[in-house]
Amino acid sequence: MSVVTSDQSAARRFGLGQAGAVCAALVLLLCLMVADLITGPAGLPLADVLRGLADGPAGEDRRLAVILWNLRMPQTIMAALVGCTLGIAGLMMQTILNNPLASPYTLGFSASAGFGAALVILFGSALPVAMWIGVPLAAFAATLIAAALVYLVARYRGASPEMLVLAGIAVLFLFQSLQSLLQFMAAPEVLQQIVFWLFGSLLKASWTSVKVLCVILALTLPFILREVWNLTALRLGDGNAASLGLNVDALRRRVLVLVALLTAGAVSFTGTIGFVGLIAPHVGRSLVGEDHRFGLPMAGIMGAVVLVAASVIGKAISPGAVIPVGIITAIAGIPMLLAIILMKGRR
Amino acid sequence: MKLVLTSCIAALLGTAAMAEITITDLRDRTVTLEAPAERVMLGFYYEDYLAVAGEGAADKIVGLSRGPWAEWRPKQWQAYTQTFPQLADLPDVGDTESSTFSIESAIATDPDLVILAGWQFDALGETAAQFDAAGIPVLVLDYNAQTLEAHLASTRALGLAMGTADRAEALATLYAEMTADTNARVARSDARPKVYVELAQKGPDEVGNSYAGGMWGGIIDRLKGQNIANGQIENWGPLSPEYVLAEAPEVILLSGSEWLNRPAAVPMGFGADKGLAQQRIDAYKGRAGWGDLPAVQNGKVFGIYHGGTRTLSDFAYFRFLGKALHPEAFADVDPEAELTQFYADWLPIAPAGTFVMQAE
Repeated sequence: MSVVTSDQSAARRFGLGQAGAVCAALVLLLCLMVADLITGPAGLPLADVLRGLADGPAGEDRRLAVILWNLRMPQTIMAALVGCTLGIAGLMMQTILNNPLASPYTLGFSASAGFGAALVILFGSALPVAMWIGVPLAAFAATLIAAALVYLVARYRGASPEMLVLAGIAVLFLFQSLQSLLQFMAAPEVLQQIVFWLFGSLLKASWTSVKVLCVILALTLPFILREVWNLTALRLGDGNAASLGLNVDALRRRVLVLVALLTAGAVSFTGTIGFVGLIAPHVGRSLVGEDHRFGLPMAGIMGAVVLVAASVIGKAISPGAVIPVGIITAIAGIPMLLAIILMKGRR
Repeated sequence: MKLVLTSCIAALLGTAAMAEITITDLRDRTVTLEAPAERVMLGFYYEDYLAVAGEGAADKIVGLSRGPWAEWRPKQWQAYTQTFPQLADLPDVGDTESSTFSIESAIATDPDLVILAGWQFDALGETAAQFDAAGIPVLVLDYNAQTLEAHLASTRALGLAMGTADRAEALATLYAEMTADTNARVARSDARPKVYVELAQKGPDEVGNSYAGGMWGGIIDRLKGQNIANGQIENWGPLSPEYVLAEAPEVILLSGSEWLNRPAAVPMGFGADKGLAQQRIDAYKGRAGWGDLPAVQNGKVFGIYHGGTRTLSDFAYFRFLGKALHPEAFADVDPEAELTQFYADWLPIAPAGTFVMQAE
């Protein structure tokens, strides 16, 4: 009896340490978001920023209010939301594929989003909707179509990691070649737009995109929370998880749908920002371990940290025209990944 | 009495200064300015802006979307920065084509007018409304539409915004008259020559894009040439070399530009050397089977500046093409001289380079 009690308290202590780590990461994220908010190409002095924030979105100084409330704030929040979404989706993908190299884009979701966006960039002038609605809508829809293809294969041939990866590779190449076809057909100017969409950028963030992504996160979050214990069990291996009474195939399919929704929401407004979904789960795991109760929030927060940090760095490097953030995440993320690999090696 | 008169004049001047300028731009938006713009954030149509705004126009620019000028037209940019070195020091707000356009940077230049091309405004989408929220008027122009109406409307809107309505009207009249004259001459001619146009960017070893319907394709259609690309491609794309030989075009048009790092391209535009352009065109004429094409045998191979369209001076390029297709109807027209004259009359620099040429 006493043994069980001490076990539980150990588990609780362990959990407290992890919760502390999550809180510390959250504080770091908030600091970075403030840093992102007070830096920008306008080079506003800190006093002006504070005045503008205090005055609110309807402040007297219209230019200041617009820069802070309508331009910088949606970008900062969008960076955090997209990073968080990609981090969570990345960890879930790595878990269901049982593969540390997996990311939200592994099963061809980024290629399909790129194809959807390219389709509208190329032929969008014929559509009755404006480009800024059409492109994210098409990217979102194409991502869900790609996910549906993978899901169908998983439904009929079983959802083992091998089967998912094979189906995903097929989808990836399908959409990549379709996208190449569109790029081949595009005039040089249009081609450039497509290529830069693929890089991913936060400049198009607006309150609309923030709201849409918030809604997607809010809708998926209850379902994600329901799976945290199951995902943790899956890390023990398929056999062990199944012996605990888990239907691993059904779990993988459910999580696949969640990952697809999250990824589609993240990429449709900002383009395929790479590397965040790969690096954030690794950082998260190395900090709080395999327990998905802490691993998922940590991966989300770390994703947000990477992306907001990349945004701050991008603004510092090029004060005028902004460098697409997708280029920076890769450059800023690689040292983090290397650090983790080296730390693990020592252990 | 004197006092009354002075106060009357003062009151009149007061009302004149208070009067607002209301313009309908090329996206059917109503733009209201309190006074002609003095601090302009210029997105595109740099030459058209300088032509319409006239004296002191360069000094009124406070920010630029520099990429479309300095990177797409590097030699033109060089020519203008030689005359106006201050352009190179202006803040760059980024470029919508590469998704680097920062509205924050643009607002930070503290403009009283933002001039954007239609494609830039469309690319900004919802975020363009932030200029309105910041109380900065945005004037959208569209010379890219390449219609007479859009050219004239863009020119007049620009004139109103810059307080140079008379100058804009004179330019619009010139453009309309030149276009009408070109149309009348084309209507007089019965010639319907077969035309092949190719973007001479990659050199003779690779087949460059041809145009059908849009860009040069639309202009050839309007000038009553038979574009061999029609029905073969949509908008643009390469034609098969075999097809070109089989069609035996009577006029070949090689569209060149100021591209950097394109060692085999036909150089045209600002700073382009005619001798070098001739050499590069000769290389194109040396393609397999081209020696027997009617266009090559009759000396009807032309070089033209790819950047010549979508601007106020493009009428001269159309007249050059008209002359290439209908030599008799345009016998007394010298398009090259018309282009030089346009620069002399309306722009602060001379066009130094090769803009159109008939290969020897």
